[in-house]
Amino acid sequence: VTLSEGARAGIGRELGMLDSLLSFGGLVLLRDSVEWEGRSLLKALVKKSALCGEQVHILGCEVSEEEFREGFDSDINNRLVYHDFFRDPLNWSKTEEALPGGPLGALRAICKRTDPGPITIALDSLSWLLLHLPCTTLCQALHAVSHQDSCPGDSFPVGKVSVLGLLHEELHGPGPVGALSSLAQTEVTLGGTKGQASAHILCRRPRQRPTDQTQWFSIFPDFSLDLQEGPSVESQPYSDPHIPPVDPTTHLTFNLHLSKKEREAKDSLILPFQFSSEKQQALLRPRPGQATSHIFYEPDAYDDLDQEDPDDDLDI
Amino acid sequence: MAAVATCGSGAGTTGSAVATASKSNVTSFQRRGPRASGTNDSGPRLVSIAGTRPSVRNGQLLVSTGLPALDQLLGGGLAIGTVLLIEEDKYNIYSPLLFKCFLAEGIVNGHTLLVASAKEDPANILQELPAPLLDDNSKKEFDEDVYNHKTPESNIKMKIAWRYQLLPKMEIGPVSSRFGHYYDASKRIPQELIEASNWHGFFLPEKISSTLKVEPCSLTPGYIKLLQFIQNIIYEERFDGSNPQKKQRNVLRIGIQNLGSPLWGDDICCAENGSNSHSLTKFLYVLRGLLRTSLSACIITMPTHLIQNKAIIARITNLSDTVIGLESFIGSERETNPLYKDYHGLIHIRQIPRLNNLICDESDVKDLAFKLKRKLFTIEVDFIS
Repeated sequence: VTLSEGARAGIGRELGMLDSLLSFGGLVLLRDSVEWEGRSLLKALVKKSALCGEQVHILGCEVSEEEFREGFDSDINNRLVYHDFFRDPLNWSKTEEALPGGPLGALRAICKRTDPGPITIALDSLSWLLLHLPCTTLCQALHAVSHQDSCPGDSFPVGKVSVLGLLHEELHGPGPVGALSSLAQTEVTLGGTKGQASAHILCRRPRQRPTDQTQWFSIFPDFSLDLQEGPSVESQPYSDPHIPPVDPTTHLTFNLHLSKKEREAKDSLILPFQFSSEKQQALLRPRPGQATSHIFYEPDAYDDLDQEDPDDDLDI
Repeated sequence: MAAVATCGSGAGTTGSAVATASKSNVTSFQRRGPRASGTNDSGPRLVSIAGTRPSVRNGQLLVSTGLPALDQLLGGGLAIGTVLLIEEDKYNIYSPLLFKCFLAEGIVNGHTLLVASAKEDPANILQELPAPLLDDNSKKEFDEDVYNHKTPESNIKMKIAWRYQLLPKMEIGPVSSRFGHYYDASKRIPQELIEASNWHGFFLPEKISSTLKVEPCSLTPGYIKLLQFIQNIIYEERFDGSNPQKKQRNVLRIGIQNLGSPLWGDDICCAENGSNSHSLTKFLYVLRGLLRTSLSACIITMPTHLIQNKAIIARITNLSDTVIGLESFIGSERETNPLYKDYHGLIHIRQIPRLNNLICDESDVKDLAFKLKRKLFTIEVDFIS
C-alpha cells in the first residue's frame, strides 16, 4: 500500500508523539491488559530517558529487581536508581536500608531532592499501589509529585518531573481507573491487531482540547522503540451496491419539480402580508370614484323612527 | 433571602414600633420608610450592595454569575445564599471557564472572594481570570459577534414564516454596567484589579499535612478544614450580619473547584460503596447552612462523570440549589455530526431552586447549546434537536 505525501507527513508528526511522551512532564499512565503487556514499553521509555541523561528512579513493586534490570546494558543499569519493594514490601526484615513510609515515603523523598534536573519516576506498578493503598492517598501523592515544578514552595527552581505509571486495566473497576486518568496528563492505552502492537495516546493539556493519536510500534530485545506505520488496512466491503437507491418522485401523478421559469415566478411573487412600498402607496392614495361611503337602511315594521333623544326623560 | 433585613435591623424595628406606639396612641402599625423614628437604623431599608439587584419575580437578592446568558436562564442571576453546582464536562475544559467568570465578576464588583481548590494554588487561579470587556466596547463586540454568526443562517430567507427570522437567537436582557459583564476569554484580568480585591485562598495540600493516617469520622478532614475556613471568614468579616452598625455591606463569593475528586480525600469517584460515601452530602448540607445565614453565594464544580454511585449524584443534586451540567462534544460522536458543527457542547439545566415560591423560574427552552468563540462564551437555543 503506497501512501500519499500528505499521509506520510502526518505519520511523521505522529512518530514524534510517542517519542516526546516524556517531554511534557506530569503523570503518564500506561494502561495495559493481558493480551498487550506494557512492561516492555515502560522499560523502553525508561531506557530512553536514561539515555537522555535524566535521573531515573524506579519503584519496583511487582517484579523482582533482577527481572526488571534484565535486558538493559550495564551503563543504563548504573544510571537507574532502584527502590525495591518487591522483596520485602512490609519491611519485616527491618534492615536500615529500607525506606521509611513505604512506596509513598520513597516518592516524597525523591521529590525533596536538591538538584534541579529533569527526573523520571517509573512506578511498577500502579496496580500494586492501588491494591495496597487507598486510592485517594495515591491520587494526592501522585498529584503532589507530578505538579512539583509548579509549586512555589521551594526557593530554587526544580526541573520537570515525569511519572510513568503502569496500570493493569483489568484488575480495577471503572472508579479508580477513571480517577487516575483524570489526573494524568497523558494516557497511553495498549492494544493492537494480529501481532502488531499499537498505542493510543491521549494528551490532555490544561485548558486545551485533548489530542489523541494511535501509534503502531514494536520493541526490540534491547528495549529500544521501533515506530511503525501500522498494518495494511483492508477496505471494508460496503453494502451490496446492486440495488440502486430508489427515487420516490419518479412515478407520481403530480409534478413535484419546478422548472427554472416556474421557480423565478415563485420567487418574485409578493405574498399578501408582505408590506412593500407599492402596497403602502396603494393604501395611502385616495381611491378614485368613491368620495364618501354611504349606508343604506330599510326600516322594519317594528322600528321606532322617533328622532327624540330617549335620555331626555331621565330626571337627574 | 430575608437574611438581609432580619439580622441587623430586626431589633431596631421592634424598638421603634414600641416607642412610636406609646407616643402616638393611635395605631401600632408602623409605616416602613426612611423617616426618622428615633432609632439609628430606621427600619428595614432596601440594601444596595454593589453588584446585586433584587429579582423582579420574588424579591430575592441576586448576584450575576459572570455570564449574562446564564443569568437569563436562571431567572436574573444567582440568589444570595444559594449554591450553584456545575457538573464538569469530561475533559474539564469549559467548566473552569464558568468558574473563572464567576470569580472575575466578583472582582469587578468589588466582592470578597474565597477560592478553594485541591488541584491548583488559588493565587494561580486568580492570575488566569478573564479580562472584563469595558462598557463602550462590549456592546459593539457582542453585536458584531452575533451578526457574524447570523449571516450563514440568513441565507435561508423565510418567505412565509418571516416573523420567526426576526426572533433573536437568545434573549439577553439589558446589561447595565452594574450587573453582569462580558468577559474576554483570551485576555487575562489586569493585575491591579486582583491586587485591589480582597480574596482568601484555600489550597488543600498546604492546609493538611501529608499523613497516611486518616481518623475515622463522618467528614473527610479536607472538608472539615474547608468548612472551618469558610466559617471563620464569614465570622471575621461580618458577612453574617452580626455587626449591624457596619455601613457598607458586601457579598462573599465562594468558589470551590473539583469538589468530590480524589484530591480532596473523598473516594466517591473511586469506589461505589466507599467508607466515606456520606461525606460529600454532609458537606453540602453544612455549607448550605452557612450560606443561608450569610451574604454569600457559592459556585462548586464537581466531576460527576467520575462518581460511581448514581444515587449519590441524585442526592447531591437535591442538596444543591441550582445545578447545571456541561456536556462537551469532544470525543463523542456528536463532534463530527454536522448538525452540531457550530457548537462545542450542550448545557443541561438540571435544577432551579424554588426560593420562597411554589414554582421555580424555569425558562421555556430546554435545548441549550454553548460555544466558546474566540473570546466569548455564549449559550444559544439549539434549534436542531
